[in-house]
Amino acid sequence: MTSNRFLKPLAQVSLLVLLFASLVGCGQAKTSSSSITVVVPEEPPSFNAVISDTGYDALVMHMTLLGMTGIDPQGNIYPVLATELPTQDNGDLVVDEQAGTMDVTWKMRKDVVWADGKPVTADDVLFTYEAVKDPTNGFAIPGLDLVTGVDKIDDYTFRVHFSAIYPAYLTFLGGRQIVIWPKHYCKPEQGYTNWDCGRNPLSDGPYTLKEWVTGDHLTFVRNPKYFEPGKPKIDQIIVRVVPDASVRETMMRQGDADLLMWATEQVASDLKNVSNVKLSISPTSRWVMRLFINLAAKGATDPEAQPNPFFGDVRVRQAIRAAIDVDKITSSVWYGYAQPVWTEFFRPPYNTCNIPRPKYDLEAAKALLDQAGWVAGSDGIRVCKGCQYAQEGDRFKFELLTYSEYGDPLIQTQQLIGEMLKAVGIQADLTQAQGSVIWADAASGGIEQSGNFNMDLYDDGYAGIDPSYFLSYYYSSAAAEPDQGWNVVRFKNAEFDSLLDQANTLNQQDRQTAFCQMAQLLDQQLPQILLFTTLNAEAYSTRLANIEANLNSVVSWNVADWALAK
Amino acid sequence: MGQFILRRLLQAVGIMFLLSVLFFALVNLAPGGPLAGYGGARRLPPEQVAMLKRQLGLDKPLPVQYMVWLVGNDWMKVGTSAAVGGTGYGTRRGILRGDFGFSFQTRQPVLTVINDRLPNTIYLMAVTLLVALGLAIPAGILSAVKQYSFFDISVTTFSFAGQAIPDFWLGLILIIVFYAWLKNPLSGDSLLPSGGILTIGAPFSVGDAVRHLILPVATGALGWIAWYSRFLRSSMLDVIHQDYLRTARAKGLSERLVIYKHALRNALIPLVTLFALDLPYIFSGAVFVETIFAWPGMGRLYYQAALQRDYPILMAVLIIGAALIILSNLLADILYAVLDPRIRYS
Amino acid sequence: MDRPIPQKKNVLDRANELEEVSHPSSKIMHRFLRHPGAMAGTIILALLVLAILLGSFSPYSSVNSNVLERLQPPSWKHPMGTDALGRDLLTRILYGGRISLAVGLMVVAITIVVGVTAGAVAGYSGGWLDNLLMRITDAALTLPSLLVLILLSAILRQVELPIFERNSVVTIAVVIGMLSWMTFARLVRAAFLTLREMDYVTASRSLGASHLRIIVNHILPNAIGPIIVESTLQLGYAIIEESGLSFLGFGIQQPTPSWGNLLSNAQENFVRYPWLAIFPGLMIFLAIISVNYIGDGLRDAFDPYKFMGKVGEV
Repeated sequence: MTSNRFLKPLAQVSLLVLLFASLVGCGQAKTSSSSITVVVPEEPPSFNAVISDTGYDALVMHMTLLGMTGIDPQGNIYPVLATELPTQDNGDLVVDEQAGTMDVTWKMRKDVVWADGKPVTADDVLFTYEAVKDPTNGFAIPGLDLVTGVDKIDDYTFRVHFSAIYPAYLTFLGGRQIVIWPKHYCKPEQGYTNWDCGRNPLSDGPYTLKEWVTGDHLTFVRNPKYFEPGKPKIDQIIVRVVPDASVRETMMRQGDADLLMWATEQVASDLKNVSNVKLSISPTSRWVMRLFINLAAKGATDPEAQPNPFFGDVRVRQAIRAAIDVDKITSSVWYGYAQPVWTEFFRPPYNTCNIPRPKYDLEAAKALLDQAGWVAGSDGIRVCKGCQYAQEGDRFKFELLTYSEYGDPLIQTQQLIGEMLKAVGIQADLTQAQGSVIWADAASGGIEQSGNFNMDLYDDGYAGIDPSYFLSYYYSSAAAEPDQGWNVVRFKNAEFDSLLDQANTLNQQDRQTAFCQMAQLLDQQLPQILLFTTLNAEAYSTRLANIEANLNSVVSWNVADWALAK
Repeated sequence: MGQFILRRLLQAVGIMFLLSVLFFALVNLAPGGPLAGYGGARRLPPEQVAMLKRQLGLDKPLPVQYMVWLVGNDWMKVGTSAAVGGTGYGTRRGILRGDFGFSFQTRQPVLTVINDRLPNTIYLMAVTLLVALGLAIPAGILSAVKQYSFFDISVTTFSFAGQAIPDFWLGLILIIVFYAWLKNPLSGDSLLPSGGILTIGAPFSVGDAVRHLILPVATGALGWIAWYSRFLRSSMLDVIHQDYLRTARAKGLSERLVIYKHALRNALIPLVTLFALDLPYIFSGAVFVETIFAWPGMGRLYYQAALQRDYPILMAVLIIGAALIILSNLLADILYAVLDPRIRYS
Repeated sequence: MDRPIPQKKNVLDRANELEEVSHPSSKIMHRFLRHPGAMAGTIILALLVLAILLGSFSPYSSVNSNVLERLQPPSWKHPMGTDALGRDLLTRILYGGRISLAVGLMVVAITIVVGVTAGAVAGYSGGWLDNLLMRITDAALTLPSLLVLILLSAILRQVELPIFERNSVVTIAVVIGMLSWMTFARLVRAAFLTLREMDYVTASRSLGASHLRIIVNHILPNAIGPIIVESTLQLGYAIIEESGLSFLGFGIQQPTPSWGNLLSNAQENFVRYPWLAIFPGLMIFLAIISVNYIGDGLRDAFDPYKFMGKVGEV
């Protein structure tokens, strides 16, 4: 205790010395020039993009593992492990029209090896399929329920048997989410969703995982056994976890990060004029901001027995659409980076339906509301007088719900929409809930599944180029039952259901026709009001070249081509 | 004393059991579930939801789930197929046998996840507390000894200010100033890094570690310094004016001896017990500091798990946190008895 | 002149007088006013409250957007700038102050009611009731508070009871209050344990005064000192907790402003628009520091040597 007297000045001096030494002496070691840093807000839960699909898992998965096919930014599917795409022309796709089944034969490349030298063969494909199929530890990937079996023909050929016509057969074992796993390395008893090799993979892709400091970063180094000669060009990629958005942005400005994945509108707007940063922007995006309108009354799930007092009437829905000034929202809150969208079929190749863009027209909105029996009340809020489903005298007041973890732009959009509705006499009370509450199953109190809402707002959309899976579980009648799908708007339309069946064909013409009819139907019925797509952009340093945003996959889809700019 | 400790430990077991039920209820009562926030897809197709429910054990009724959490399910048939090497029985052994389950999000064992994060939190919090004490104790002592002097007034003002600044706000400001605005005069890089524990890919150096510690520790320590220095000051003041010190002075002891030998020892007693009560924070860490400075620790782990409703992680962190609080309370009481001869427990 | 005839006083009144002589409230006030920090704190707090009340006179709305004036730096027109929806930040801060202070005051009210009752009953009755209440208090103290706060607010937020319904202010106050009453309980219990043994209490009891009368008339007024001091600290603590919770997304929801969620809004924009975070943070800082100074002044004024038990005692 007597030494206390010296403690304070000693402490002060040593602190100063430490500070000085650290600031001046041991600065950041300069990493080799062929090393880049990617910053992400959260850690990838694993290398298996199927289980959680956060996007960051897909990022690291595509750096290390390969699937049968991939999808490029324009929506074209290209072979990766396959030598060529199986089609009816080259005889690898055989359709039995009578029975309604099809067989797909895949031929694999012979020059791909795992990082330990063993070849990638059909055995690995079968192994992956068995693991995926396991009812306890597998996962219900799209199309799995239609597959009756996968047979090995020889070491580099296998055949998949489908019990129905499945137009998306090309991405059944590839695309954005599925890759082939090594049979000799992964332990099947651990299960597809749990296995250790999902966190410490054996690579056949451009990079191998060198180290993973959980919560902090992952380091990848180039795989010398990668099958494409001369690739990858960059020796080392570090994926760093930085939760705070403004810190990530600052790191890009300072040059401490080379790639910021999924730049938000805010970040894109902030960085677009920074000289050492470039943006790669997809022409459209997967996610479309939309209003989900519960056609059943709040708390109910049957729109016929208990129609929604406000929104059961299609004129009201049309009025709401006319009252929203989408351009005002996109140009302000989204920094001009959002694009108005008004139909599900807005991306190639199915974007030729020519649905006219809805007009922002306050007067028309008011007229429609008057027609629907909602007349202006004394305080500016409309009151039911002869409306179709509500009680006489009820005010047009309801809660507009949105998802709280998205961030400012969504909350602000909600605010603006609330104001726009107010301008036509509709009182929308704004409220937010957490994602884990909105999208939980009905038994856990999930707001949407139990129908416990009137209208909610956020973005959603289908991945890849094929909307049919999405359409069926968002709009088909079967999906309107709680926990049977995501038709939380309870849209039960027999015509739509039959169009869905019609679209289930390999004939592109027929598909296109069916889709366009669906587009018309949805445009008239408006179970959801589509507003705009949000941005799909990657911000990258001018040090880099060949970074290309890919809304059908993830930015590392072409990681083997990334290079340092000359 | 031994009897006292034994009694308290037995009580602790009972409390832990009750708390575990309470936590389980809280975690499951929170509306929504883990399947909703599952990754970017948000809304999973119904067949995947059903499959996940089975895999995560969520299809069983709540009391059964609690039992599985407590004692495992390796004595229950859960039907893993033999085709993939399953045995038909469950694989969980329950918390009473040390198995904390696996995270819903990453499917890793919870203990592994915690083990990965815990050292980082302990490292940061230990340094923070040491720095805080190292500055607070001398400040508190001197400010009590030189009461109402300029030093005292500035320390008191500083400590009031320190307790009034929200740490998340301070962290953001520090990053803006030291990472974005100020530059290292020699190398042109940012003066201090924006976060993380070490520079990635660079060989380990103490200087590097220190540079990464400066901002998070400054943010976290401010509140502690303010609180401890004030507390020590008032504790010292209470003691300094006591009669026995007057006697000591009258007996001719030097002022320095009076203060540092007699007063300080007695003033430190409550501080020691207070410190023991703060020890659990070393475990749960600081959510804000870890989030802002990208520090992979327990606080951030818990926060993410809360958003994603990752029940096993939430339960584990809550239970361990509560256990540490109980133990540190016991430790504080024991220390107090050891240090202050006037206190005796029956 | 005739001397005035002394009135007959009964023993109870005499006991009252004796109490008052030892704790004259005027003396307390006097000491408080001489404390420079406390005076400064009071002034600042008074100014804050005044400004907050005057917020209704702002020409701007705290909720309605004005996208043409987004993200403007401080100017004469908007002294604290505008936010991402073009709303005047000063107006939002003043309204947010209302919310934050309301939460703070509600928390103090809840903790006083629950904590004082528990502590009073425990300290006064002793025996098994004391034991039970203290075990409950201890158990509540072992809850890791921020962790439980997060879960509790997630739960209560969805509860559809009348006072809770979507009214996040009450929910947050209840949640924070439920985890903060323990200090009060301990404090009050300590005070009661000491005061219960005082002579005038024994005297009152022997004269047949009811328990309630003793508690309310005799003991409570003497325990008021620490209660008031602790309340001011509790207020500061509640404001910080609310702002922290809102920052994490578990607190007050948009579009209602609160100091905490104004800060969390600012997080993404901090680099380019620092005023969005500087001003709300500054307000929190001023509020807490003034409240703490007031608390400190009150503590000195109430003469700390009497009832403020040190940590670990009792």
